[in-house]
Amino acid sequence: MFGYYLDLALRSLRRNPALTGLMVLAIAFGVGASMTTYSVFRAVSGDPIPWKSSRLFVPQIDLFGPTAAAKTSNEPQDLVSYKDALAITRAHRAHFQSAMYNIAPSIDPASPGSRPREVMGHAVQWEFFPMVDAPFVYGHAWSADEDAAHAKVAVISSRLNDRQFKGEDSTGREIILDGKPYRIVGVLDHFTPEPLFYDVANRNFGEPDDVFLPFATAIDAQSTNTGNYNCARSPLEEGFSGTLTAECAWIAVMVQLDSTADATAYRQWLDGYTDGQRQAGRFSWASNNRLRNLPAWLDFKQVAPPDTKVSLLVALGLLVVCMVNTIGLMLAKFMRRSGEIGVRRALGASRLQIAVQFTVEAAVLGFTGGLLGVAMTWIGMTAMRAVLPEDIAALARMDGSLLSLTLCMAVLATVVAGLYPTLRATWVRPALQLKSN
Amino acid sequence: MAITPIIVALRRHKAGALLIGLQIALTLAIVCNALFIITTRIERIGRPTGIDEANLFKVSVQRGGLPSDGEAAKARLDADVRTDLAAIRALPDVADAYVTNTLPLANSNWTGWLGQTPDGDKVGPSTAFFLGDEHTLATLGLHLVEGRNFRPEEVLPHSLRDRVAPAQLIISKALAQKLYPDGDAIGKTVYVGPSAPPTRIIGVVDRLQSSTVQAWAESFAWQTSIVPARFSFTYRTYAIRARPGRLDAAMKAVPDALYAVDPQRVIPEDDGVLSFAGIRARAYRADRGMAILMGAVCVILLTVTAAGVVGLSSFWVGQRRRQIGIRRALGATRRNILNYFLAENALITVGGVLVGALMAFAINAWLMVQFELARLSVNYVLAGIVALIVLGQASAFAPALRASHIPPVEATRS
Amino acid sequence: MLKMTHLSKVYRTEVVETYALRDFNIDVNEGEFVAVTGPSGSGKTTFLTIAGLLETFTGGTYHLDGVEVSKLDDNARSRIRNEKIGFIFQAFNLIPDLNVFDNVEVPLRYRGMKAAERKQRIMESLERVGLASRAKHYPAELSGGQQQRVAIARALAGSPRLLLADEPTGNLDTQMARGVMELLEEIHREGATIVMVTHDPELAARAQRNVHVIDGQVVDLAEDPRFHAQVQAGRVNI
Repeated sequence: MFGYYLDLALRSLRRNPALTGLMVLAIAFGVGASMTTYSVFRAVSGDPIPWKSSRLFVPQIDLFGPTAAAKTSNEPQDLVSYKDALAITRAHRAHFQSAMYNIAPSIDPASPGSRPREVMGHAVQWEFFPMVDAPFVYGHAWSADEDAAHAKVAVISSRLNDRQFKGEDSTGREIILDGKPYRIVGVLDHFTPEPLFYDVANRNFGEPDDVFLPFATAIDAQSTNTGNYNCARSPLEEGFSGTLTAECAWIAVMVQLDSTADATAYRQWLDGYTDGQRQAGRFSWASNNRLRNLPAWLDFKQVAPPDTKVSLLVALGLLVVCMVNTIGLMLAKFMRRSGEIGVRRALGASRLQIAVQFTVEAAVLGFTGGLLGVAMTWIGMTAMRAVLPEDIAALARMDGSLLSLTLCMAVLATVVAGLYPTLRATWVRPALQLKSN
Repeated sequence: MAITPIIVALRRHKAGALLIGLQIALTLAIVCNALFIITTRIERIGRPTGIDEANLFKVSVQRGGLPSDGEAAKARLDADVRTDLAAIRALPDVADAYVTNTLPLANSNWTGWLGQTPDGDKVGPSTAFFLGDEHTLATLGLHLVEGRNFRPEEVLPHSLRDRVAPAQLIISKALAQKLYPDGDAIGKTVYVGPSAPPTRIIGVVDRLQSSTVQAWAESFAWQTSIVPARFSFTYRTYAIRARPGRLDAAMKAVPDALYAVDPQRVIPEDDGVLSFAGIRARAYRADRGMAILMGAVCVILLTVTAAGVVGLSSFWVGQRRRQIGIRRALGATRRNILNYFLAENALITVGGVLVGALMAFAINAWLMVQFELARLSVNYVLAGIVALIVLGQASAFAPALRASHIPPVEATRS
Repeated sequence: MLKMTHLSKVYRTEVVETYALRDFNIDVNEGEFVAVTGPSGSGKTTFLTIAGLLETFTGGTYHLDGVEVSKLDDNARSRIRNEKIGFIFQAFNLIPDLNVFDNVEVPLRYRGMKAAERKQRIMESLERVGLASRAKHYPAELSGGQQQRVAIARALAGSPRLLLADEPTGNLDTQMARGVMELLEEIHREGATIVMVTHDPELAARAQRNVHVIDGQVVDLAEDPRFHAQVQAGRVNI
């Protein structure tokens, strides 16, 4: 019977190509615009590490105090001072923890004759790698001992490995960063999280990290922090060494806490730490700490640009208009066939059979609109790449799930739009006359 | 023309009329807000930075492997910078150049606070700092409205983490007005943060935009200061003015000259050398993208709605062929029939836009709460109303014209 | 087969109540060919729509094939229309988007019949009306008489117990009308029950029995001189 309805639907749609075309285009535009903006929204608002994001936390400490001019709200700073970073990681109260900061050293070329280039990276502690589940293609993370010994080792990205070592196993070999040699202990396997969730206070989308150095080693080498650096008052001492003693926020910290109880205990410990700092005379204000898990942190930092949300909402509005348009046109199309409906009813079609016939017609219309909508989405995404900031636009991808979602959405939206016209079709009474007019 | 018969007729196909009205209402509501977003973004993009952007470009360099801490390291880096600057300024295509931390719109911000007393926690307005020297005003094409330029001897080497506490300062007019609403900032003493040494304001430039266009810095986007300092650090940016018409040549010549001085340096491939037009495009790319996207949405919306009106009007005309024939037979002129359908459309559209205007403000109110958008001006809604009424009439015209050409003989056909 | 007792049908508006049928009684036996006649507006078409379960009625009872139909829901009524009743309309009512074959197929589709059986039945009934060669034609390509024969084929395809015809020759010229009428008579001879509404006395005369309707009521034929006069006049014309 479904085949029969399908056949009837195709006949009906062919009979009125202009009206059908109008409806298909409206559906395609609505779905295409929605899916284009959705593809961007999905890319920027997705969970970069869904299997454990709720167990990753970012501790924040109020370094500046409630009256500091540098503050616009009572939120503590996104980053912590070197002193607090060391205190947090040395206390070792979480399952994993790492202090980290943004570096951009120059790297000597693999072959003589080429020029050195700049690479993005982070100085981290060994626990960083198991904490963020970084996959290795060669080697492994450096050890706790190497961390403690300020070893001159490095973990590099597969991208850098391809460029410097043609993709071979480079563990044990050396790279020269800012003029100093580092021994490669591990090569990551396409670790390019979007956003760069472990340090969204500094970077979110765009270039992934190519090098990771031990935190203590980078500090020894005075590797410049290329991320944010915020001070409530000027450091007492100038230069890199001054940043280590300054009450300035520039180090990101992430910790892994495996249960709610652990998180609660950690919060208490953090408050205890800052209370102790106050008693020691360092802070003159009450503890004002935060411990957000990763989803809450990404939300708080507005990692997904509000523009992408506004765009998605506006596009969904467009879809609603297109669907209202489709309801009107479908109503006209179905009502034009009230004579046929009356005869079918007279010949024994039940209301349900009429409803199924017209719902199938709506679904076929939606599917056709969806196919065109996929094309529109593709065009839309290509256009978005041309006009949006590269780091955002590059994330929007057409994949199987987006494709099937586009089709499902088109069919579903059209079937919903067809509910009222179909209902009206079932109201047509069985009739002896094919009424003209 | 009497409205009553049209209303009576509309009640016979009220579902269709309601749907078209609803579509027009939604279209108006969305188009008004989208247009509002577009104009907001275009205004934002169009703000002049205050500098002469033509023929201006920047070259960012990085030099790894050199120590940066301590006086000796700083002196060594400062010597490198002077060598670089001499090499750049000697190029025939270069008009002027200086070294700095950042440029307007370059998206790397140094900010601080200017207090009028040395007193600890009392701080004044926020400001964005640009490092510069006696060449800065000329290179950027800034307009000095009061006071004087820096003297070469006032410009000191400055490392990344050095304290910004200059003896002299040139500030923007917006910052001067914020500090001294009564005017006359020249010669006044300010303090860069608590317990800083005194800084004297020696000049005021007309307008100078800060280096970031991000929302958090919007409140002090025009409150900028130029610090007499040569940025002598392992990474730095050269701001260079090419001779008129020689921008492309200079953008090629400068990196070559810099590599000739020191082949070990890094000039990033993708954004190391950028014209100011390039810097501007990067800064406002998201705004431009948003404006284009909203524009596309508006075009699609209006097209779909126009097509919907054409479709449904045509259907109604087809449905009423006989009725129109009877009217014609009873003496209605073509003009009467045309007017009838146009009036019917006008009635639906006016109903739609009235509802749509309310929806436009409701959506705007919601966006204001959720996304900190500004309040929608009534002008957008009025413009939208006019546009949709014109669109409705234009869309209904072809079907109405076809209706007016239905011959009276149609009355006799069944 | 078809029995209506004290049946009434009232159309109500806010202002008036109009009786389309009032105390309407009729009993059609299996295998009968009954013509229902009457002037325009007498209620004969209303009778046919109720008989065909296209409309409900206000009062009285209606038994179709022994079943009281007033209690049936829409689905059951649809099924009875599909399985027991065949309709022949004045305006043919073929679906213009469907060709002859597909038009005849419509009631069989709703019966959920297998494709092979559908095809066999369709071709049989098209052969019976002499249009098997036109199966692929669309209604617009056929003459009025041919269209009505397709409509009859569609009505017959489902082997209905009862055939309801509403002015079946009303839209046809005399020659075509004669052909259609002969077809109906032939169908009747083969055992079908036919109820035909017409205002044409000539047609009515060819039925086994005439039922005359005036003002929504069945009028006793023997006692109405006007009817006799009409019948006489019709016969004279032949």
